[in-house]
Amino acid sequence: MTIFEFALKRSFGNPTNLIFLSLFPLAAIFLPQSELWPALPYGYHYFGILLLFVAIRLTAILIEDRTSGIVKRLAVAPITHFSYLSQNLLAFACILVLQCTVVVAGGVLYGQELGQPLMLLVLYVSFAFTALAMAVAWVALYRSKEIAFLVYMTIIVLLSLLGGMLFPVEMIPEPLSRVIMVLPTYWLTDGMAWVTSGGDLLDFWLANGVLWLYTIIFLTLGSVRKIH
Amino acid sequence: MRVLSTVPWTLRRMSRDYLVLLLLLGVPIVLLSLFSYLMGNAMAESGRLLFHDTAQQMIMSFQLFSGSVVMSYLYYDLFTEKRMRIFTLPFNKSLYAFSIMLCGTVYSLVLGVLLMTYAQLVLGVVWEHWVWMSYNLLLLSVVSSIVSLILMFSVRSFKTAERLTEIYGVGFIVLAGLFFPMPDNAVMNFLGSYGNPLTLSDGAVTAMANGEAGEAWLQANVLAAASLVLFPLMLLLGRRKMR
Repeated sequence: MTIFEFALKRSFGNPTNLIFLSLFPLAAIFLPQSELWPALPYGYHYFGILLLFVAIRLTAILIEDRTSGIVKRLAVAPITHFSYLSQNLLAFACILVLQCTVVVAGGVLYGQELGQPLMLLVLYVSFAFTALAMAVAWVALYRSKEIAFLVYMTIIVLLSLLGGMLFPVEMIPEPLSRVIMVLPTYWLTDGMAWVTSGGDLLDFWLANGVLWLYTIIFLTLGSVRKIH
Repeated sequence: MRVLSTVPWTLRRMSRDYLVLLLLLGVPIVLLSLFSYLMGNAMAESGRLLFHDTAQQMIMSFQLFSGSVVMSYLYYDLFTEKRMRIFTLPFNKSLYAFSIMLCGTVYSLVLGVLLMTYAQLVLGVVWEHWVWMSYNLLLLSVVSSIVSLILMFSVRSFKTAERLTEIYGVGFIVLAGLFFPMPDNAVMNFLGSYGNPLTLSDGAVTAMANGEAGEAWLQANVLAAASLVLFPLMLLLGRRKMR
Protein backbone atom coordinates (compact mmCIF):
# COMPACT_ATOMS: atom_id res chain seq x y z
CA MET A 1 0.00 0.00 0.00
CA THR A 2 2.95 2.36 -0.56
CA ILE A 3 1.26 4.13 -3.45
CA PHE A 4 -1.86 4.61 -1.34
CA GLU A 5 0.16 6.25 1.40
CA PHE A 6 2.00 8.51 -1.01
CA ALA A 7 -1.20 9.49 -2.80
CA LEU A 8 -2.58 10.64 0.57
CA LYS A 9 0.59 12.53 1.42
CA ARG A 10 0.79 14.18 -1.99
CA SER A 11 -2.86 15.20 -1.85
CA PHE A 12 -2.39 17.03 1.42
CA GLY A 13 1.07 18.38 0.58
CA ASN A 14 -0.15 21.09 -1.76
CA PRO A 15 -1.33 24.29 0.00
CA THR A 16 -4.17 24.96 -2.48
CA ASN A 17 -5.38 21.38 -2.01
CA LEU A 18 -5.33 21.86 1.72
CA ILE A 19 -7.76 24.76 1.37
CA PHE A 20 -10.01 22.70 -0.92
CA LEU A 21 -9.86 19.65 1.32
CA SER A 22 -10.31 21.24 4.71
CA LEU A 23 -11.30 24.91 4.69
CA PHE A 24 -14.06 24.86 2.06
CA PRO A 25 -15.96 21.84 3.45
CA LEU A 26 -15.82 23.36 6.93
CA ALA A 27 -17.10 26.67 5.58
CA ALA A 28 -19.93 24.80 3.83
CA ILE A 29 -21.29 23.64 7.18
CA PHE A 30 -21.91 27.18 8.40
CA LEU A 31 -23.56 28.73 5.33
CA PRO A 32 -27.13 29.85 6.03
CA GLN A 33 -30.47 28.39 4.95
CA SER A 34 -32.41 30.07 2.16
CA GLU A 35 -36.02 31.12 2.58
CA LEU A 36 -37.32 29.97 -0.80
CA TRP A 37 -34.87 27.99 -2.87
CA PRO A 38 -32.84 25.74 -2.43
CA ALA A 39 -34.46 23.55 0.22
CA LEU A 40 -31.11 22.50 1.70
CA PRO A 41 -28.82 25.12 3.30
CA TYR A 42 -26.57 26.77 0.68
CA GLY A 43 -23.44 24.96 1.83
CA TYR A 44 -25.11 21.60 1.31
CA HIS A 45 -26.77 22.52 -1.93
CA TYR A 46 -23.46 23.65 -3.44
CA PHE A 47 -21.46 20.81 -1.88
CA GLY A 48 -21.75 18.78 -5.11
CA ILE A 49 -19.91 21.53 -7.01
CA LEU A 50 -17.17 21.45 -4.39
CA LEU A 51 -16.90 17.67 -4.79
CA LEU A 52 -16.43 18.10 -8.55
CA PHE A 53 -13.61 20.59 -7.94
CA VAL A 54 -11.95 18.47 -5.28
CA ALA A 55 -12.08 15.41 -7.54
CA ILE A 56 -10.34 17.16 -10.43
CA ARG A 57 -7.71 18.63 -8.10
CA LEU A 58 -6.97 15.22 -6.58
CA THR A 59 -6.71 13.44 -9.91
CA ALA A 60 -4.23 16.05 -11.16
CA ILE A 61 -1.67 13.74 -9.53
CA LEU A 62 -2.36 11.22 -12.30
CA ILE A 63 -1.50 13.78 -14.99
CA GLU A 64 1.63 14.77 -13.09
CA ASP A 65 2.70 11.14 -13.04
CA ARG A 66 2.14 10.83 -16.74
CA THR A 67 3.95 14.00 -17.75
CA SER A 68 6.90 13.44 -15.45
CA GLY A 69 7.40 9.91 -16.75
CA ILE A 70 6.51 8.12 -13.54
CA VAL A 71 3.97 5.96 -15.41
CA LYS A 72 6.76 4.86 -17.75
CA ARG A 73 8.94 3.85 -14.84
CA LEU A 74 6.05 2.07 -13.19
CA ALA A 75 5.48 0.09 -16.37
CA VAL A 76 8.88 -1.56 -15.99
CA ALA A 77 8.63 -1.83 -12.20
CA PRO A 78 7.17 -4.99 -10.66
CA ILE A 79 3.76 -3.40 -10.09
CA THR A 80 0.63 -3.68 -12.18
CA HIS A 81 -1.16 -0.69 -13.63
CA PHE A 82 -4.28 -1.94 -11.88
CA SER A 83 -2.64 -1.75 -8.49
CA TYR A 84 -1.19 1.71 -9.21
CA LEU A 85 -4.56 3.08 -10.29
CA SER A 86 -6.64 1.35 -7.64
CA GLN A 87 -4.41 2.50 -4.78
CA ASN A 88 -4.47 6.08 -6.04
CA LEU A 89 -8.23 5.98 -6.46
CA LEU A 90 -8.69 4.39 -3.06
CA ALA A 91 -6.75 7.26 -1.48
CA PHE A 92 -8.83 9.87 -3.33
CA ALA A 93 -12.04 8.06 -2.45
CA CYS A 94 -11.08 7.91 1.24
CA ILE A 95 -10.49 11.67 1.25
CA LEU A 96 -13.80 12.39 -0.49
CA VAL A 97 -15.84 10.05 1.75
CA LEU A 98 -14.22 11.54 4.83
CA GLN A 99 -15.12 15.00 3.56
CA CYS A 100 -18.75 14.02 2.99
CA THR A 101 -18.95 12.49 6.47
CA VAL A 102 -17.43 15.53 8.14
CA VAL A 103 -19.79 17.90 6.33
CA VAL A 104 -22.96 15.92 7.11
CA ALA A 105 -21.95 15.17 10.71
CA GLY A 106 -20.96 18.80 11.21
CA GLY A 107 -24.34 19.93 9.89
CA VAL A 108 -26.20 17.62 12.26
CA LEU A 109 -24.16 18.85 15.23
CA TYR A 110 -24.50 22.51 14.20
CA GLY A 111 -28.26 22.04 13.83
CA GLN A 112 -28.80 22.54 10.09
CA GLU A 113 -32.08 21.26 8.69
CA LEU A 114 -30.93 18.40 6.49
CA GLY A 115 -34.09 16.31 6.16
CA GLN A 116 -32.65 12.81 6.37
CA PRO A 117 -28.93 13.28 7.09
CA LEU A 118 -28.01 9.62 6.69
CA MET A 119 -29.57 9.42 3.25
CA LEU A 120 -27.91 12.70 2.33
CA LEU A 121 -24.56 11.16 3.26
CA VAL A 122 -25.29 8.11 1.08
CA LEU A 123 -26.15 10.42 -1.82
CA TYR A 124 -23.02 12.54 -1.36
CA VAL A 125 -20.85 9.42 -1.27
CA SER A 126 -22.45 8.14 -4.49
CA PHE A 127 -21.89 11.50 -6.14
CA ALA A 128 -18.33 11.72 -4.81
CA PHE A 129 -17.52 8.47 -6.62
CA THR A 130 -19.16 9.75 -9.80
CA ALA A 131 -17.19 12.99 -9.58
CA LEU A 132 -13.98 11.03 -9.07
CA ALA A 133 -14.67 8.73 -12.02
CA MET A 134 -15.52 11.71 -14.25
CA ALA A 135 -12.30 13.45 -13.25
CA VAL A 136 -10.25 10.31 -13.95
CA ALA A 137 -11.81 9.97 -17.38
CA TRP A 138 -11.19 13.66 -18.04
CA VAL A 139 -7.54 13.76 -17.05
CA ALA A 140 -6.89 10.72 -19.25
CA LEU A 141 -7.56 13.02 -22.24
CA TYR A 142 -4.98 15.66 -21.38
CA ARG A 143 -1.24 16.05 -21.13
CA SER A 144 -1.20 19.40 -19.38
CA LYS A 145 -2.51 19.80 -15.87
CA GLU A 146 -3.43 23.47 -16.25
CA ILE A 147 -5.41 23.09 -19.46
CA ALA A 148 -7.24 20.02 -18.14
CA PHE A 149 -8.22 21.94 -15.02
CA LEU A 150 -9.28 25.15 -16.76
CA VAL A 151 -11.42 23.43 -19.38
CA TYR A 152 -12.96 21.16 -16.75
CA MET A 153 -13.86 24.28 -14.77
CA THR A 154 -16.15 25.37 -17.60
CA ILE A 155 -17.63 21.87 -17.74
CA ILE A 156 -18.35 22.09 -14.00
CA VAL A 157 -20.13 25.41 -14.46
CA LEU A 158 -22.29 24.00 -17.26
CA LEU A 159 -22.98 20.76 -15.39
CA SER A 160 -24.05 22.55 -12.25
CA LEU A 161 -26.09 25.12 -14.16
CA LEU A 162 -28.01 22.58 -16.22
CA GLY A 163 -28.20 20.02 -13.43
CA GLY A 164 -30.25 22.42 -11.35
CA MET A 165 -27.63 23.38 -8.81
CA LEU A 166 -27.58 27.11 -9.59
CA PHE A 167 -31.14 27.23 -10.90
CA PRO A 168 -34.31 25.31 -9.96
CA VAL A 169 -34.79 22.46 -12.44
CA GLU A 170 -38.47 23.39 -12.77
CA MET A 171 -37.50 26.65 -14.52
CA ILE A 172 -35.87 24.80 -17.40
CA PRO A 173 -38.24 24.71 -20.41
CA GLU A 174 -39.61 21.48 -21.85
CA PRO A 175 -37.29 20.14 -24.57
CA LEU A 176 -34.16 20.90 -22.55
CA SER A 177 -35.60 19.57 -19.30
CA ARG A 178 -35.65 16.07 -20.80
CA VAL A 179 -32.15 16.31 -22.21
CA ILE A 180 -30.60 17.27 -18.88
CA MET A 181 -31.60 13.93 -17.41
CA VAL A 182 -28.39 12.54 -18.89
CA LEU A 183 -26.30 14.73 -16.56
CA PRO A 184 -25.01 13.23 -13.29
CA THR A 185 -25.71 16.54 -11.52
CA TYR A 186 -29.39 16.22 -12.40
CA TRP A 187 -29.54 12.99 -10.41
CA LEU A 188 -27.74 14.61 -7.50
CA THR A 189 -30.32 17.41 -7.31
CA ASP A 190 -33.05 14.82 -7.79
CA GLY A 191 -31.70 12.88 -4.79
CA MET A 192 -31.36 16.06 -2.73
CA ALA A 193 -35.00 16.92 -3.45
CA TRP A 194 -35.94 13.46 -2.11
CA VAL A 195 -33.83 13.98 1.02
CA THR A 196 -35.65 17.20 1.91
CA SER A 197 -39.20 16.46 0.80
CA GLY A 198 -39.37 12.67 1.03
CA GLY A 199 -41.38 10.42 -1.30
CA ASP A 200 -41.01 6.99 -2.78
CA LEU A 201 -37.82 5.32 -1.51
CA LEU A 202 -37.34 3.74 -4.91
CA ASP A 203 -36.78 7.18 -6.46
CA PHE A 204 -33.90 7.79 -4.09
CA TRP A 205 -32.22 4.51 -4.96
CA LEU A 206 -32.81 5.16 -8.64
CA ALA A 207 -30.84 8.42 -8.36
CA ASN A 208 -28.03 6.60 -6.54
CA GLY A 209 -28.12 3.77 -9.06
CA VAL A 210 -27.72 6.16 -12.00
CA LEU A 211 -24.80 7.83 -10.25
CA TRP A 212 -23.09 4.46 -9.74
CA LEU A 213 -23.73 3.53 -13.35
CA TYR A 214 -21.94 6.69 -14.40
CA THR A 215 -19.13 5.87 -12.00
CA ILE A 216 -18.58 2.50 -13.68
CA ILE A 217 -18.74 3.92 -17.19
CA PHE A 218 -16.33 6.79 -16.54
CA LEU A 219 -13.96 4.65 -14.52
CA THR A 220 -13.73 2.17 -17.38
CA LEU A 221 -13.04 5.00 -19.82
CA GLY A 222 -10.43 6.59 -17.59
CA SER A 223 -8.53 3.54 -16.46
CA VAL A 224 -6.83 2.83 -19.78
CA ARG A 225 -3.09 3.09 -19.36
CA LYS A 226 -1.48 5.71 -21.57
CA ILE A 227 2.25 6.03 -21.99
CA HIS A 228 3.39 9.02 -23.98
CA MET B 1 9.29 54.72 -28.48
CA ARG B 2 10.86 51.38 -29.26
CA VAL B 3 8.41 49.75 -26.90
CA LEU B 4 5.64 50.91 -29.21
CA SER B 5 6.82 48.55 -31.94
CA THR B 6 6.24 45.58 -29.63
CA VAL B 7 2.57 46.45 -29.06
CA PRO B 8 1.22 44.87 -32.27
CA TRP B 9 3.06 41.68 -31.39
CA THR B 10 1.68 41.60 -27.87
CA LEU B 11 -1.82 42.09 -29.24
CA ARG B 12 -1.26 39.38 -31.83
CA ARG B 13 -0.03 36.98 -29.16
CA MET B 14 -3.07 37.71 -27.03
CA SER B 15 -5.53 37.25 -29.86
CA ARG B 16 -4.03 33.82 -30.62
CA ASP B 17 -4.23 32.56 -27.06
CA TYR B 18 -7.05 30.11 -27.64
CA LEU B 19 -7.41 29.00 -24.04
CA VAL B 20 -8.03 32.59 -22.87
CA LEU B 21 -10.45 33.12 -25.74
CA LEU B 22 -12.32 29.97 -24.74
CA LEU B 23 -12.48 30.92 -21.07
CA LEU B 24 -13.18 34.66 -21.35
CA LEU B 25 -15.21 34.74 -24.58
CA GLY B 26 -16.50 31.25 -25.42
CA VAL B 27 -17.72 30.33 -21.95
CA PRO B 28 -19.47 33.68 -21.31
CA ILE B 29 -21.24 33.42 -24.67
CA VAL B 30 -22.49 29.93 -23.84
CA LEU B 31 -23.52 30.99 -20.33
CA LEU B 32 -25.26 34.16 -21.56
CA SER B 33 -27.18 32.20 -24.19
CA LEU B 34 -28.15 29.58 -21.66
CA PHE B 35 -29.35 32.11 -19.11
CA SER B 36 -31.24 34.00 -21.78
CA TYR B 37 -32.95 30.76 -22.83
CA LEU B 38 -33.79 29.82 -19.25
CA MET B 39 -35.03 33.24 -18.13
CA GLY B 40 -37.04 33.93 -21.25
CA ASN B 41 -38.96 37.17 -21.05
CA ALA B 42 -39.35 37.34 -17.26
CA MET B 43 -39.52 40.95 -16.07
CA ALA B 44 -37.85 42.40 -12.99
CA GLU B 45 -39.59 44.85 -10.63
CA SER B 46 -37.70 47.72 -12.24
CA GLY B 47 -39.52 47.04 -15.52
CA ARG B 48 -36.44 45.75 -17.31
CA LEU B 49 -35.85 42.22 -18.51
CA LEU B 50 -34.69 40.04 -15.62
CA PHE B 51 -32.01 38.75 -17.94
CA HIS B 52 -30.73 42.31 -18.50
CA ASP B 53 -29.38 42.54 -14.94
CA THR B 54 -27.96 39.03 -15.06
CA ALA B 55 -26.21 39.66 -18.36
CA GLN B 56 -24.77 42.93 -17.04
CA GLN B 57 -23.45 41.25 -13.90
CA MET B 58 -21.99 38.35 -15.86
CA ILE B 59 -20.17 40.52 -18.38
CA MET B 60 -18.78 42.58 -15.49
CA SER B 61 -17.79 39.48 -13.52
CA PHE B 62 -15.61 38.17 -16.32
CA GLN B 63 -13.60 41.40 -16.25
CA LEU B 64 -12.41 40.44 -12.77
CA PHE B 65 -10.33 37.68 -14.37
CA SER B 66 -8.72 39.95 -16.96
CA GLY B 67 -5.72 40.43 -14.68
CA SER B 68 -4.66 36.83 -15.12
CA VAL B 69 -3.89 37.46 -18.80
CA VAL B 70 -1.62 40.41 -18.00
CA MET B 71 -0.02 38.47 -15.20
CA SER B 72 0.86 35.40 -17.22
CA TYR B 73 2.32 37.43 -20.12
CA LEU B 74 4.44 39.52 -17.77
CA TYR B 75 5.59 36.41 -15.96
CA TYR B 76 6.69 34.59 -19.10
CA ASP B 77 8.43 37.65 -20.54
CA LEU B 78 10.16 39.01 -17.48
CA PHE B 79 10.64 36.16 -15.02
CA THR B 80 11.25 32.95 -16.98
CA GLU B 81 14.04 31.93 -19.37
CA LYS B 82 12.87 34.69 -21.71
CA ARG B 83 13.99 37.25 -19.10
CA MET B 84 17.58 37.45 -20.31
CA ARG B 85 16.54 37.90 -23.93
CA ILE B 86 14.11 40.67 -23.06
CA PHE B 87 16.68 42.35 -20.83
CA THR B 88 19.24 42.52 -23.65
CA LEU B 89 16.83 44.45 -25.85
CA PRO B 90 17.45 48.20 -26.07
CA PHE B 91 14.24 49.45 -24.47
CA ASN B 92 12.90 50.46 -21.11
CA LYS B 93 11.74 47.33 -19.29
CA SER B 94 9.28 49.09 -17.01
CA LEU B 95 7.72 50.72 -20.04
CA TYR B 96 7.51 47.31 -21.75
CA ALA B 97 5.79 45.85 -18.70
CA PHE B 98 3.42 48.82 -18.72
CA SER B 99 2.66 48.28 -22.41
CA ILE B 100 1.75 44.63 -21.74
CA MET B 101 -0.53 45.79 -18.96
CA LEU B 102 -2.23 48.32 -21.23
CA CYS B 103 -2.62 45.74 -24.01
CA GLY B 104 -4.12 43.23 -21.59
CA THR B 105 -6.57 45.81 -20.29
CA VAL B 106 -7.63 46.88 -23.76
CA TYR B 107 -7.89 43.24 -24.84
CA SER B 108 -10.15 42.49 -21.90
CA LEU B 109 -12.26 45.57 -22.69
CA VAL B 110 -12.62 44.41 -26.29
CA LEU B 111 -13.80 40.99 -25.09
CA GLY B 112 -16.30 42.72 -22.79
CA VAL B 113 -17.62 44.90 -25.64
CA LEU B 114 -17.90 41.82 -27.87
CA LEU B 115 -20.02 40.18 -25.18
CA MET B 116 -22.18 43.32 -24.94
CA THR B 117 -22.63 43.30 -28.71
CA TYR B 118 -23.57 39.62 -28.65
CA ALA B 119 -26.07 40.21 -25.85
CA GLN B 120 -27.69 43.09 -27.74
CA LEU B 121 -27.74 41.67 -31.25
CA VAL B 122 -28.48 38.02 -30.51
CA LEU B 123 -30.12 37.94 -27.11
CA GLY B 124 -32.08 41.18 -27.33
CA VAL B 125 -30.67 43.02 -24.30
CA VAL B 126 -30.78 46.76 -24.95
CA TRP B 127 -27.87 48.54 -23.26
CA GLU B 128 -28.91 52.09 -22.37
CA HIS B 129 -25.45 53.68 -22.32
CA TRP B 130 -22.84 51.88 -24.37
CA VAL B 131 -20.03 54.35 -23.63
CA TRP B 132 -20.74 54.47 -19.91
CA MET B 133 -20.86 50.71 -19.62
CA SER B 134 -17.62 50.36 -21.63
CA TYR B 135 -15.98 52.96 -19.38
CA ASN B 136 -16.97 50.92 -16.34
CA LEU B 137 -15.72 47.70 -17.93
CA LEU B 138 -12.43 49.49 -18.53
CA LEU B 139 -12.21 50.67 -14.91
CA LEU B 140 -12.92 47.17 -13.67
CA SER B 141 -10.33 45.67 -15.97
CA VAL B 142 -7.72 48.25 -14.90
CA VAL B 143 -8.33 47.57 -11.21
CA SER B 144 -8.21 43.82 -11.79
CA SER B 145 -4.94 44.05 -13.72
CA ILE B 146 -3.36 46.20 -11.01
CA VAL B 147 -4.53 43.89 -8.23
CA SER B 148 -3.26 40.80 -10.08
CA LEU B 149 0.13 42.40 -10.66
CA ILE B 150 0.39 43.49 -7.03
CA LEU B 151 -0.33 39.90 -6.02
CA MET B 152 2.23 38.57 -8.47
CA PHE B 153 4.94 41.00 -7.36
CA SER B 154 4.35 40.41 -3.68
CA VAL B 155 4.43 36.61 -3.48
CA ARG B 156 7.38 34.45 -4.41
CA SER B 157 5.75 31.69 -6.45
CA PHE B 158 3.76 32.36 -9.60
CA LYS B 159 1.44 29.45 -8.83
CA THR B 160 0.44 31.07 -5.54
CA ALA B 161 -0.18 34.36 -7.34
CA GLU B 162 -2.45 32.58 -9.84
CA ARG B 163 -4.46 31.01 -7.03
CA LEU B 164 -4.70 34.38 -5.26
CA THR B 165 -6.07 36.10 -8.37
CA GLU B 166 -8.66 33.33 -8.67
CA ILE B 167 -9.63 33.92 -5.06
CA TYR B 168 -9.82 37.67 -5.80
CA GLY B 169 -12.14 37.05 -8.77
CA VAL B 170 -14.39 34.38 -7.33
CA GLY B 171 -14.27 35.99 -3.87
CA PHE B 172 -15.68 39.32 -5.02
CA ILE B 173 -18.39 37.55 -7.03
CA VAL B 174 -19.40 35.66 -3.89
CA LEU B 175 -19.14 38.81 -1.76
CA ALA B 176 -21.39 40.63 -4.20
CA GLY B 177 -24.03 38.07 -3.22
CA LEU B 178 -24.51 36.59 -6.68
CA PHE B 179 -24.48 32.98 -5.47
CA PHE B 180 -26.19 33.39 -2.12
CA PRO B 181 -27.02 36.32 0.17
CA MET B 182 -24.21 37.39 2.47
CA PRO B 183 -24.73 37.85 6.24
CA ASP B 184 -26.11 41.22 7.21
CA ASN B 185 -23.37 43.04 9.14
CA ALA B 186 -21.30 46.18 8.62
CA VAL B 187 -18.20 44.47 7.19
CA MET B 188 -20.14 42.27 4.76
CA ASN B 189 -22.37 45.15 3.71
CA PHE B 190 -19.29 47.24 2.91
CA LEU B 191 -17.71 44.38 0.95
CA GLY B 192 -21.00 43.92 -0.91
CA SER B 193 -21.30 47.58 -1.87
CA TYR B 194 -18.57 50.27 -1.84
CA GLY B 195 -15.77 47.85 -1.02
CA ASN B 196 -16.35 45.62 -4.00
CA PRO B 197 -15.19 46.56 -7.53
CA LEU B 198 -17.86 44.38 -9.11
CA THR B 199 -20.81 45.96 -7.29
CA LEU B 200 -19.32 49.43 -7.78
CA SER B 201 -19.19 49.17 -11.56
CA ASP B 202 -22.44 47.27 -11.72
CA GLY B 203 -24.08 49.89 -9.50
CA ALA B 204 -22.65 52.71 -11.60
CA VAL B 205 -24.14 51.29 -14.79
CA THR B 206 -27.52 50.58 -13.17
CA ALA B 207 -27.63 54.06 -11.60
CA MET B 208 -26.91 55.71 -14.96
CA ALA B 209 -29.64 53.60 -16.59
CA ASN B 210 -32.04 54.83 -13.89
CA GLY B 211 -31.08 58.44 -14.58
CA GLU B 212 -29.13 58.98 -11.34
CA ALA B 213 -26.01 60.48 -12.88
CA GLY B 214 -24.61 61.72 -9.55
CA GLU B 215 -24.69 58.32 -7.91
CA ALA B 216 -23.31 56.71 -11.07
CA TRP B 217 -20.31 59.05 -11.18
CA LEU B 218 -19.72 58.60 -7.45
CA GLN B 219 -19.48 54.81 -7.76
CA ALA B 220 -17.31 54.94 -10.87
CA ASN B 221 -15.03 57.51 -9.27
CA VAL B 222 -14.52 55.33 -6.21
CA LEU B 223 -13.28 52.64 -8.56
CA ALA B 224 -11.07 55.10 -10.44
CA ALA B 225 -9.66 56.37 -7.14
CA ALA B 226 -8.91 52.81 -6.05
CA SER B 227 -6.87 52.21 -9.18
CA LEU B 228 -5.05 55.53 -8.73
CA VAL B 229 -4.13 54.55 -5.16
CA LEU B 230 -3.08 51.02 -6.07
CA PHE B 231 -1.05 51.99 -9.14
CA PRO B 232 1.96 53.50 -7.28
CA LEU B 233 2.00 50.47 -4.99
CA MET B 234 2.14 48.20 -8.02
CA LEU B 235 4.93 50.29 -9.52
CA LEU B 236 6.93 50.12 -6.31
CA LEU B 237 6.55 46.37 -5.90
CA GLY B 238 7.18 45.75 -9.59
CA ARG B 239 10.41 47.74 -9.69
CA ARG B 240 11.68 45.87 -6.65
CA LYS B 241 10.84 42.51 -8.20
CA MET B 242 12.18 43.27 -11.69
CA ARG B 243 15.61 44.35 -10.52
